[in-house]
Amino acid sequence: MSGGASGAALESLEADLLLEGVARHWGFDLRSHARPLLLRRLRRHLREERLASFSALQARVLHDAQALESLLRALSCAEPTLFTDAAFFRDFRARVVPVLRTWPSVRVWHVGCGTGEDTHALAILLHEEGLWGRCRLYASDACEGVLADARTGVVPLPDAAAARRYEESGGRGRLASWYTRDGDWAQLRPELRDGIFFTQHNLATDGSFNEFQVIVCRDVLLAFNRSLHNRAHTRLHESLARFGYLCLGRKESLSRTPQVAAYEELEGSGRIFRRVT
Amino acid sequence: MSLGLLVVGAPRGAAADVEALLARLPPALPVPVALVLHRGPFDALAAPLGRGCPFPVVEPDDKDDLVPGRVHLAPAGYHLLVDRGTVVLSVEPPEHGCRPAIDALLESAADSYGASAAGLLFTGHEDGVAGLARLQARGGQVATVGEAEAGLEGGVEHLAPAEVDAWLGRLLHAPRGRVVP
Repeated sequence: MSGGASGAALESLEADLLLEGVARHWGFDLRSHARPLLLRRLRRHLREERLASFSALQARVLHDAQALESLLRALSCAEPTLFTDAAFFRDFRARVVPVLRTWPSVRVWHVGCGTGEDTHALAILLHEEGLWGRCRLYASDACEGVLADARTGVVPLPDAAAARRYEESGGRGRLASWYTRDGDWAQLRPELRDGIFFTQHNLATDGSFNEFQVIVCRDVLLAFNRSLHNRAHTRLHESLARFGYLCLGRKESLSRTPQVAAYEELEGSGRIFRRVT
Repeated sequence: MSLGLLVVGAPRGAAADVEALLARLPPALPVPVALVLHRGPFDALAAPLGRGCPFPVVEPDDKDDLVPGRVHLAPAGYHLLVDRGTVVLSVEPPEHGCRPAIDALLESAADSYGASAAGLLFTGHEDGVAGLARLQARGGQVATVGEAEAGLEGGVEHLAPAEVDAWLGRLLHAPRGRVVP
């Protein structure tokens, strides 16, 4: 075995031991996450923490809840901008909102909300479309640390690109009217923040906690390997009301999940599905 | 070890060279190709690259299978990673200002394929150099096309564009290891 290859085998073993330790000691099971993604984020975390090996990280994480928290934070990687994917919000306005208007009440679940930027963008959209009064917006993430950030309703100050994306998404006013500036940060208007229920929920291990008419779960399941990905889809399916909408990321599909027949993709939309059975 | 995957990385400036390479690939390619070409958020790339190519160029969805005789092109806005026969997409932050990034693909190929991956890097950008070195360290066959790149030495072949075919041919027809009874 060459030096590089044996180093690789050792690193892989250390990664396994780290994940095993985290699962058994803290109950956070990362063993079914997509391996290449997990390795990349762990390596980046090592560099940032200036640690030499996964074993060193393991020693720290097992004895220090703070270290676990910062590890979990490193593993979540939502983008800290509002209206990141303008095309999604535009499609959502055009295709889903008109139907939601005909319903008396709507429960929306934003899965894997991270630090909340997309959740707030969704709240702005629902508000502008006159749906805020009958919507309940639940946002969840597995990591309590990022949820604490999300609850503050403070996001990095949107730049010109964010304002442009807001317009492309069909925004009806000015993005700047939704927040007050505080230095390099933006404090979102309290009526948005107060209408969102942030709650800790781990899609990998926790059960369904309500029935929703809309589930937004974009680019979250990328982090899971195929078997956990399919289990998570079972959970989403259980949590979605019949004729409810499931919104996935632009390059996520249902074609390899057991639930593929239960949904219909809205034609011409970027991966918005309607549950039909 | 026999070849299981060909990974190709190229900066935007090498797009024409990549198109030419794809057009010359052997029609009965027995391995999947994973390709990262630096791109902006709205470039349509799969169609022009597929025009001259003898087999399909697709932008895979997350968790798609890597299929022999198919070029898996990194979609705009996502890193393309590989995991033993499966495509894994990622929205991690850009690397070297790029998403998709070449380093990300090469690193994942080094981890999950090691010596059974071959890596071809079109030079002209810092992205890809570290990944190619890692793939080489894990026993993969690696080569660069274009100007020699600093930071890569020892065992990395530098090819002229016209030599790529011969390099590929050598890899694909390498004699298989003897079967141990």
